Amino acid sequence: MNAASAIPTVDLTRNHANEGGAVRIAVKGLNFYYGSFHGLKNVDINFHDRQVTALIGPSGCGKSTLLRCFNRIYSLYPEQRAEGQILLDGQNVLDPSVDLNDLRARIGMVFQKPTPFPMSIYDNVAFGLRLYEKLPKSELDGRVEQALRKSALWDEVKDKLRQAGTGLSGGQQQRLCIARTVAQSPEVILFDEPTSALDPISTGRIEELIEQLRDEFTIVIVTHNMQQAARISQFTAFMYLGELIEFGPTNRMFMNPVEQRTQDYITGRFG
Amino acid sequence: MPALTETIALARPRAAAARKGPSRSLDTLFRVCSYGAALFVLIVLAGILGSILYGGWPAFREFGFAFLTSSAWNVGTEQYGALVAVIGTVASATLALLIGVPVSLGIAVYLTQLCPGWARKPVAMTIELLAAVPSIIYGMWGLFVFAPLFARFIQIPVSNLVEGMPVVGTLFYARVPSGVGVFTAGIILAIMIVPFIASIARDMLDQIPTVLRESAYGIGCTTWEVVRHVLVPQASVSIIGAIMLGLGRALGETMAVTFVIGNANRLSASIFDPSSTIASRIANEFNEADGLQLNALMALGCILFVITFVVLIIARLLTRRVKAA
Repeated sequence: MNAASAIPTVDLTRNHANEGGAVRIAVKGLNFYYGSFHGLKNVDINFHDRQVTALIGPSGCGKSTLLRCFNRIYSLYPEQRAEGQILLDGQNVLDPSVDLNDLRARIGMVFQKPTPFPMSIYDNVAFGLRLYEKLPKSELDGRVEQALRKSALWDEVKDKLRQAGTGLSGGQQQRLCIARTVAQSPEVILFDEPTSALDPISTGRIEELIEQLRDEFTIVIVTHNMQQAARISQFTAFMYLGELIEFGPTNRMFMNPVEQRTQDYITGRFG
Repeated sequence: MPALTETIALARPRAAAARKGPSRSLDTLFRVCSYGAALFVLIVLAGILGSILYGGWPAFREFGFAFLTSSAWNVGTEQYGALVAVIGTVASATLALLIGVPVSLGIAVYLTQLCPGWARKPVAMTIELLAAVPSIIYGMWGLFVFAPLFARFIQIPVSNLVEGMPVVGTLFYARVPSGVGVFTAGIILAIMIVPFIASIARDMLDQIPTVLRESAYGIGCTTWEVVRHVLVPQASVSIIGAIMLGLGRALGETMAVTFVIGNANRLSASIFDPSSTIASRIANEFNEADGLQLNALMALGCILFVITFVVLIIARLLTRRVKAA
């Protein structure tokens, strides 16, 4: 993708500074197949450390597919396969020798709809921790609280940690899912249209939260909402029909896109 | 906005005129029929319950509360008690659940999570066919094929092994290793209820949104952890419902159990020994029963009714509790 090489210098002045910026995930020559359908075509793209990268594009363009490659969640479906390289800190996550459970603890994912597990609020967060570590109760409590605080949910749920996670509102449930992911201290968090099922106020909260999480995590977010991409991301990638059309700092992508198709999509001429 | 209301007022009569004649009487008829259908069920249920109660009343009056606690069943001396049949019913149904539920859940989980796409249909089909086998076939097969094998390969070796041991020596000791008994009935019942529980559990697991399953895998769960901690609890209300349906079937199943339970009116602590269930007792004796014996059988029927109701109520309470949690 020649567009990627034409990126001007990164402009981060718009957002609060953090020391991030080095390449964290490097995707090289990624192809993806749903059976015989070629879902991603030769995608090359870099994701930067502790930055929010938004993937935008019309439905079916492959942005969710790309997201689903990072933690190999697609491998639940035998007819789906990926070829190429996705290097996370230099290690190819597509390598069959990679331990999937371990990988998914390093790369967390938040989905389109809130997916609280059928257990208490506390257990929803502690569940992921218990999978990997045997922690004493006091430390577990601390880690759960920390995760809930980071997800801006603590104050709302601290008095009802034993109640069912499903009893929360949609926005709270989504923050609970974020807390569950954050608790595992992943390196990367993938968001697959995290606000598409939420009302505007909850959406605003989640966006603020993503903004804060950027201090600690590398974030990739798929969104249908272009304003959202413009608001919260530092980098934006525009995809169309399984190809990466253009990638660059969000400011430039929205102000001054290089490709005509990017321009057309951003201005709402198709999509 | 006066203009708008005006147009609506104008439009209405025209719309009414466009309809073919008034159908009010038909509507009333429809409502009455629907009411009647619903009422019919209640009337039939009340009728059955009332007549059984009426038929069983003499036995209850004759023996009082002792009818429940007595293990006697003697046609000659006209002494009747329900204890053996009640215990046999509950024991065989419990065994059926203990064996059948894990197998059913295993099938449901296999079909929804692990089974390769091409095998899903045939396996599911086979299980549904199992549900279509008439109970008399199960009974016949159980008595003539399964029981002798069971006696030879399980009852006799196990009895020899546990003889003289405390607790298990009583529980698993067959005085007459003929192959029939409470345990055999439990196994046959388990085979009969598996298709019901498995297919409902499968449907329920299938209905769980993919995104929940993916998010469980997404935090690094193994298949076992996903199933154990997320999918089964998520479907637990319906699964409990399915289990209770199976239990209801096991409690009332007559033909197959009558074949394999041995039909002995004997109180035994061994699950290898023959016994009776309420249903098998009734099926065995109603033909030549009259007088007090017939009343006693009717009274047994009442008790079975009550047991089934209790199961239903427990199921309701359980599902409500799980829903609330």
